[in-house]
Amino acid sequence: MTSFALLFTLSTIGISETVYLIRKRIALEKPICPIGGGCEKVLESKYNKIFFIHNDVVGLLSYIIISVIAAFLVIEVPPATLWSLLIKILVVTASLASLFFTYLQWRVLRAWCFWCLMSAFTIWLMAIIILVSAVI
Amino acid sequence: MNKTSFHILRVGLAITFLWIGVLIFKQPEAWGGYLAPWAANLLPVPIEQAMMGTAFVDILIGVFLLIDSFVWIAALVGALHLIAVLVVSGITDITVRDIGILAGMVALMADSLPKTLIDKIQSWTKRGNGSEQTNQS
Repeated sequence: MTSFALLFTLSTIGISETVYLIRKRIALEKPICPIGGGCEKVLESKYNKIFFIHNDVVGLLSYIIISVIAAFLVIEVPPATLWSLLIKILVVTASLASLFFTYLQWRVLRAWCFWCLMSAFTIWLMAIIILVSAVI
Repeated sequence: MNKTSFHILRVGLAITFLWIGVLIFKQPEAWGGYLAPWAANLLPVPIEQAMMGTAFVDILIGVFLLIDSFVWIAALVGALHLIAVLVVSGITDITVRDIGILAGMVALMADSLPKTLIDKIQSWTKRGNGSEQTNQS
């Protein structure tokens, strides 16, 4: 249960991050950028959308689905094997997407966005937790 | 309150409420065991149903805190809920932590009260003070 608890906690942190970014974007306000200073450049770049949907919205939906599945796994809602497989697929996909977006910041945009990196680290941490829990 | 510390407290308490809600959904009857017998006897519904309702309220409070919407209402309901928990279960080795969470909820509520409400409270206070002074003179 510890791994699901950690996944649930991390996904809720992800929800709060993405909700913050969505609210700032809708209000046409600049998000606070504590480290890096390149938030604006990254968030307003042409890479801020995938198939006409903003990345923050995709991120929010992913985090919501992950948190709901983690909660289902804790409550033991059947079928547990399906939920377990789904959460792994989601986290791996999101980890790869985060890897791609981090590469874009590093090599293409040459600017670092604090919130994007925080989201990437959140997802990678989730992937590490899933890997470690599979080994133990 | 500093903006950063406010958000850290908000997200931290949101996670706490969401997580407690999920855990109660998992074992409602076990969580019902924390209720003092006198409080359990007062319930108009079976203890399991009452705990499910509590879990739902906890999750709702957590969601509102997490998405930073109606924070003062969520914090107010959360604080009242925690007071109720402390009353019906008593201060034990486990519930003693609720005092800290309660203080956090009150701090969140105080810091997120809408300006219109603060203005109303201030005008009521002034009116109260004014009538007191008139009575004294």
